[in-house]
Parts: sequence; C-alpha cells; structure tokens
Amino acid sequence: MERAAGRLLRSPGLARALVTTPSLLLGWIIATVVVLVAGVAATLGTGTPYVALLAPAVAAAGIAYAYGPGIDPAWELSCSMAVSDRMVLLVRALAVFALNAALGLAASAASGAAAAVTFGWLIPMTAVCGLALAAATVTRSANVGVAAGLAGWLIAILAGQAAAGRYTAALTDSSLVLPYLAVAACCGAIAMYATRIPRGTS
Amino acid sequence: MNVDITDLTRRFGHTQAVAGVSLETGAGVFGLLGPNGAGKTSLLRMMATVIPPTSGRLRLLGRDPGGYGPRREIRRRLGYLPQNLGYYPGFTVAEFVEYFALLKDMPSAQVPKAVATAVERVDLGSKARAKLRTLSGGMLRRVGIAQAIVNDPELLLLDEPTAGLDPEQRVAFRALLRDLGQRTTVVVSTHLVEDVGAACTEVALMDNGKIVFHGTPDELTARGEGHGIGDAPMERGYTAVLAAARS
Repeated sequence: MERAAGRLLRSPGLARALVTTPSLLLGWIIATVVVLVAGVAATLGTGTPYVALLAPAVAAAGIAYAYGPGIDPAWELSCSMAVSDRMVLLVRALAVFALNAALGLAASAASGAAAAVTFGWLIPMTAVCGLALAAATVTRSANVGVAAGLAGWLIAILAGQAAAGRYTAALTDSSLVLPYLAVAACCGAIAMYATRIPRGTS
Repeated sequence: MNVDITDLTRRFGHTQAVAGVSLETGAGVFGLLGPNGAGKTSLLRMMATVIPPTSGRLRLLGRDPGGYGPRREIRRRLGYLPQNLGYYPGFTVAEFVEYFALLKDMPSAQVPKAVATAVERVDLGSKARAKLRTLSGGMLRRVGIAQAIVNDPELLLLDEPTAGLDPEQRVAFRALLRDLGQRTTVVVSTHLVEDVGAACTEVALMDNGKIVFHGTPDELTARGEGHGIGDAPMERGYTAVLAAARS
C-alpha cells in the first residue's frame, strides 16, 4: 500500500506519512465499519436511514483525528520537515475522506434506503468534514474539530426536522446542495489559512 | 553565518518566552544554557522553523524562513531533535529514521545508506530492526539523534540531547558532537553545564527569555571565580552570571 501511494503521490515521504495516519490505523477502521454495520442493521430494521445520518459524523471524526498536535506522535518533528505539514494534512484528510466515503457507500447500498437518501449524504459529509477540519486546525485540537463537526451536523438535522418535519430533510433537500458546498469551500480556505506559517520573520 | 538572529521575540498569549535575542554563529558547537523556562526551547523551535517569531529578524543558512521556498530549502539542510520526541511504537529504528529522511526530501536512492550510517553513528546498528516500543529511553533518544543527522545537516538543533543517556553514552555523544561541529553549526540546548564544557566552542546563557551571557565555556567558568554556588567551576560561573542578571 505504501509503495502504491508513493507512486501515486510521487513522494515516498508523503506515502509513509499517509500510512501513519492515526485515523487510518486498523483499530479505527474496524470501529468505523462496526458503526456503519450497526447503522445498516438499524436502517433495515426501522426504515430510518441511519447510515446516511451517521456517515458524515463518523467521517468528520476521522478527519479531525488525521493529524495534529497530541494526535500524531511525531507532529513536532514533522513540522520541521521539507515535506510541509500542510501537504501531510491534505493527503491524510483526502485519504480519510475517501475511505469513509467508500465505506459509507457500501453501507448505504447494503441498507437499501431510498435512492435520494442513499447518496444524498455525500455532499453534506463534505461540508461536515470541512467544518471539522477547519475547527481542528484553527484551535489545534482534534476534540474541538470533532465537536464542531458533530454539532454542525446535528444542527443541520434538527433544522431539517423543524423546517420540513423530517430528519432526512438535511439529506434530501436539493436546495441545500449549494450551501453545503459553500460551507465546505469556506472551511477548506480557513484550514489552508490556519496551516500557513506567517511571513514577517525578517 | 549559518544562524543570524536579531532582536527575536516570541510571545505565547501574555507570556514572553523569548525577549529580544540576538546572536550569530557559524560552524562549531553552540551551547544554549539556562534554567527551566528560560526560553531555550522556544528559541530552538523558532530556529527549527516549527513556530514563527512574533517579531525580529531570523536568517538560517543565509535564508529567510518566512518564505515557502527558502523555508523548504532550510528544512532540507536542517536536523532537529525536539525536547519530547514522539515516535511510532510499531516502527523499527531503521524505518523511523528512514521516514524522516524521506520527509527531509532526501533522494530515495541515498536514503538506505544514509539511514545505516546515521544509525551506526549513534551506536544502534545492532538494534536497527528492533521495534521502537522495545527500546529504553536512552536508546530512543539516540534514535532521535539519528533522525536529526541522517541528512548530514548544515544546521543541527538538539534540545536536551543527553537526557536519558547513561554516562558512557554521554561521553560518546559529546565526541559525536565535536566531530559534527567541525563542519556543521550545532546548537545544543541543555541545562547540564558539563555537556557544554566538554563539547561546546561557544555558549550563551538564557534567563527570562534573554541572553545574559555569551562567550566561550572558559569565559563562563572565569565568571565564577570567587563567586557562585556549585560543585564544578563552570557551575559556579553559571550561577554567578544568573545571580548577577537577576540582581
């Protein structure tokens, strides 16, 4: 896997940084699978699309725990390396997102929910992950990132319930696509800004 | 000059960790002495480009680390051992050193030989395939030193490098420092004055974020003649300078 990533990224250093991602370790992946399998069972049993509601929250936690002080053992050292820590963060965040999207899609397909809901969580997941990433990088705390991501997603679900009477409105309302994408873009920009090293040292 | 610092400051909220430090140094071993909380680690972290200064001028290896390109070039030629070395317990010694060689952008073809050389230089050749979780604190410190020197750096920054080393390892490490200092700028932050006396060509003493003494180890020792508290001559110089700075 590391060799394949090295060829893809054209950087053996980034490839090894990728395989040391805290939220891509085996235990974390197993936990994600367990949560989504439970979501599939709950969806099949109740008809409520729990997989779609869970997937963005699980992915946001994975993104927040991808890299940073207190999360990555060698973070301090990584910050002094020629391969920039922003690149490490970007590569890890994309990898965590891609893995969670793949697992979520598999769980959605297995749960057999309505088509709009089956894939409707992908764009909200992008926004929630962006929020978690931005909060984690600005505050330099993975826990704050997770809290922000979960809170943002909970607010979206509750707002959907209040406005349309359905918890799934946050997933199925097509008018929310642009706001979700705008939130994701803004949060991405905030994360980029937060990970810069300011000029003015000379 | 490989390190050229003018009036450098660093604040963390209301705390002034570094308060207007200026120094220049070229090849040789530069000792940074001082009590806990003096600002040594903050100064070293700025020199390692981990944190930016709040104000002042910092040039490393003739470059301004504020720009992306120069900073990357500095980092390629930099070795850094942080005070608290984090590590991946499942990595072997060789894998860990190799990881940082790769992150330093070393050409892949040069990495295996450089890793083997660095591991040998810290006397861990027989442990190259051992998992980090099985090593003692002193061995982990030497792994940290190996990753710092793997790229044959022009600027080597070591924060408390002898912490956890036994006396025999410390003697060997000081010899390594003297050897590295022949062609490299080595900055060693420590609170152990005997390390400075044995290995450093130049020394600065920090207190409350400021440099209160800058000179040779012999000059620091001379400050303690007839004054100061301590068992060794340099310790007396150290305490005498600190007492004078605080009075």
